[in-house]
Amino acid sequence: MNDALRKKLSSTFSDLQITAAGDGDTSITVPKGSLMSLLSFLKSQGYEHLGLISCVDWVEQKEFELIYIVSAYMSRDHEHGEQERSSIIVKTRISREEPRFLTVIPVYGNAEPYERELHELFGIHFEGHPRLIPLLLEREYPVPPFRKDFDTRKYVKEVFDSVPSLEDPEE
Amino acid sequence: MNTEKPAGQDRSARELEMYFGPQHLGMVGNFSITLNVEGDRIIKAAANPGYLHRGFEKLMELRTWIQNFPMVCRINVVEPDSMEMIYSMAVEKLAGIEVPERAHYVRSIYLELARVGSHLFGLWAYANMLGFDTVAQWAMYHRDLVLDLFEELTGGRVYHIYIWPGGVRRDFPEGFADKLVNTLHAIGGCVPDYDAAFFENRVFYERARGIGTVTREEAKEMGGTGQVLRATGMEYDIRKVQPYAAYDKVPWSVHTREDGDAYSRIWVVRDEMIESVHMIFKLLEAMPRGEVYNRIPNPFKWNIPPGEAYVRCESSRGELGLYLVSDGGDRPYRVHFRTPSYPHGLTVLEKALQDASIADVGNIMISLYVVAPEIDR
Amino acid sequence: MDRNQLIKWLKAPVKMSHKYSLHAVYFCTGCGIIEVPPVITARWDAERFGVLPVATPRQANLFLITGYVSVKTLRAIIRTYEQMPVPNYTVGFGSCPINGGMYWDSYNTIKHLDKYIPIDGWIAGCMPRPEAIFVAVTHLWTLIDKDMADGYKRYRKHYRLYRANQERVLGKLEWPPLYPIEERDERRTQEKAVVDVQ
Repeated sequence: MNDALRKKLSSTFSDLQITAAGDGDTSITVPKGSLMSLLSFLKSQGYEHLGLISCVDWVEQKEFELIYIVSAYMSRDHEHGEQERSSIIVKTRISREEPRFLTVIPVYGNAEPYERELHELFGIHFEGHPRLIPLLLEREYPVPPFRKDFDTRKYVKEVFDSVPSLEDPEE
Repeated sequence: MNTEKPAGQDRSARELEMYFGPQHLGMVGNFSITLNVEGDRIIKAAANPGYLHRGFEKLMELRTWIQNFPMVCRINVVEPDSMEMIYSMAVEKLAGIEVPERAHYVRSIYLELARVGSHLFGLWAYANMLGFDTVAQWAMYHRDLVLDLFEELTGGRVYHIYIWPGGVRRDFPEGFADKLVNTLHAIGGCVPDYDAAFFENRVFYERARGIGTVTREEAKEMGGTGQVLRATGMEYDIRKVQPYAAYDKVPWSVHTREDGDAYSRIWVVRDEMIESVHMIFKLLEAMPRGEVYNRIPNPFKWNIPPGEAYVRCESSRGELGLYLVSDGGDRPYRVHFRTPSYPHGLTVLEKALQDASIADVGNIMISLYVVAPEIDR
Repeated sequence: MDRNQLIKWLKAPVKMSHKYSLHAVYFCTGCGIIEVPPVITARWDAERFGVLPVATPRQANLFLITGYVSVKTLRAIIRTYEQMPVPNYTVGFGSCPINGGMYWDSYNTIKHLDKYIPIDGWIAGCMPRPEAIFVAVTHLWTLIDKDMADGYKRYRKHYRLYRANQERVLGKLEWPPLYPIEERDERRTQEKAVVDVQ
């Protein structure tokens, strides 16, 4: 990230923590209240491409960490500048016991499937999302499957391995 | 599940819900689209993925770093090599492993060969959908010649597991470079036939012109990358924007078109294929001698220091990214793939299918270059 | 055609015509689909074995289940299989349908496909080569000759058990049973009642 943008960020927001993440990428940690305004600000500065919305389950600290990775499209069709070379990783933490957050669809329109997926795989409820129905999964699991306390091998043993084989059926 | 009212209550009585389902002659890959149609016109389309969901990212947390290499290539079945590359790049970034110079060139040649194979597969799918069976047979035959080269280099036709953290597994065998050049000349020599039969065919022009148009603003808003964006005129290619491997060592150009419809996207695919072949020739000439791998720590006892990494590369479908988190152990803590087919198959597809005719569903879907396993992982 | 074949054709023409025209349903179930286009196109040419892809299951008698089966796909597979007219043959392609393969600990894939639909043969490998598909087709011919490819007969005979397994994993199924189940139980209870009376 260039220094001009860093100065602007530090002057506009007071509760950021900006660290270099190697290879030109930058990581910004922000409390959850300021996330929406930070994303709108970054979009206005040219970071219009939302690459990924992800979530990391820090089970000991009882928190989910939401990750938003944004980068820039090219401002001129045939020239490759410095801004699109690296991405910005925006991170915020929410509680694990009652995971709720706001949707970022007003800022980035393509966030819709990412949030749907996080809803069904981690159990995070995004307020304001128009279509929070299952995307990939076909059934409800006792614990949302990507959380660290879901033991997938135990589930497989209980559900799939217990189905009787038809090698030597009776009669 | 259909939560809308049945026909006749505030809905047009002619509206019908149908499934362009997984078992369909035009569906390449296990993917489904729920269409609400009225007559021949689509009112609403909803993508229905999940038929190929294996929970990859959860499974990768249970296996060690090195055990994940054979797993990772199975996410994108058509071009597994870009998946190996992105995982390797992320692991090398986290662990601080350097790759020797020659390995960068070998990796670039390998990835470009995979790109040619993947585009030929896409050409098979698209030509078959439009009914150009002859061109589809040629494309699949030429892809098989490329797979023969992969078999000689790595031992497997489809899943190669050639890229290793710290380089590649082994160097080119004796005579491989000549065989590579001869095969590519044989494929390239057929380009005039392809052009005459398909790309410059008036029927293709009439079928694909103006179909499935995605403008530049829509593509940017919906997160489109790859051919979807390059067909609107922007030269957005990660190999130029954030170069990796040896892509900044040889001169090459990004091809674009202006209109953003299916016709432009397939022409971009054709131009990229030819550019990849030329790039392989240039890389072979410029390749230095040397080692092709750096030793890594003992893979059975390999702990990577805690941290996170986000890496990007350009697969044949668009911008491929990987977010990798390590907590200092011998397994990944969190893996999340940003696959290019995810926005294309979910957001862009639903928008592009609006007001399309049913006959064009397959046309639009395959021209957006969606690979179903990438969406579900 | 040599003389042995001629005798076989005269003795059992229907069986021979089943063998030599196995029409495969075009359903790309999993990763194995990457080796099917080379098989059905010019280089490996499955049509010289009589194998063609067809559009609907109503016209097909070979079901090639290529690769792993997730829970959602299992529903589609059962519906497709039940629409195929008998006699039909199913072949499991790849290591994943056999015992779960690489995704043995995944929460969304089923591990043993033959607990849910009957399988006539397996092709091991990840991916199997196109030659392996042809070996499988010729082996299937031998099985059909000897009347050992009886997956569809087993399905009818043990349909109650298959359906019980399917419902156990998938929950309530939206389609009615293919073969009547209750009738046999009623008849059994009636027979039992008669025996008791006597």
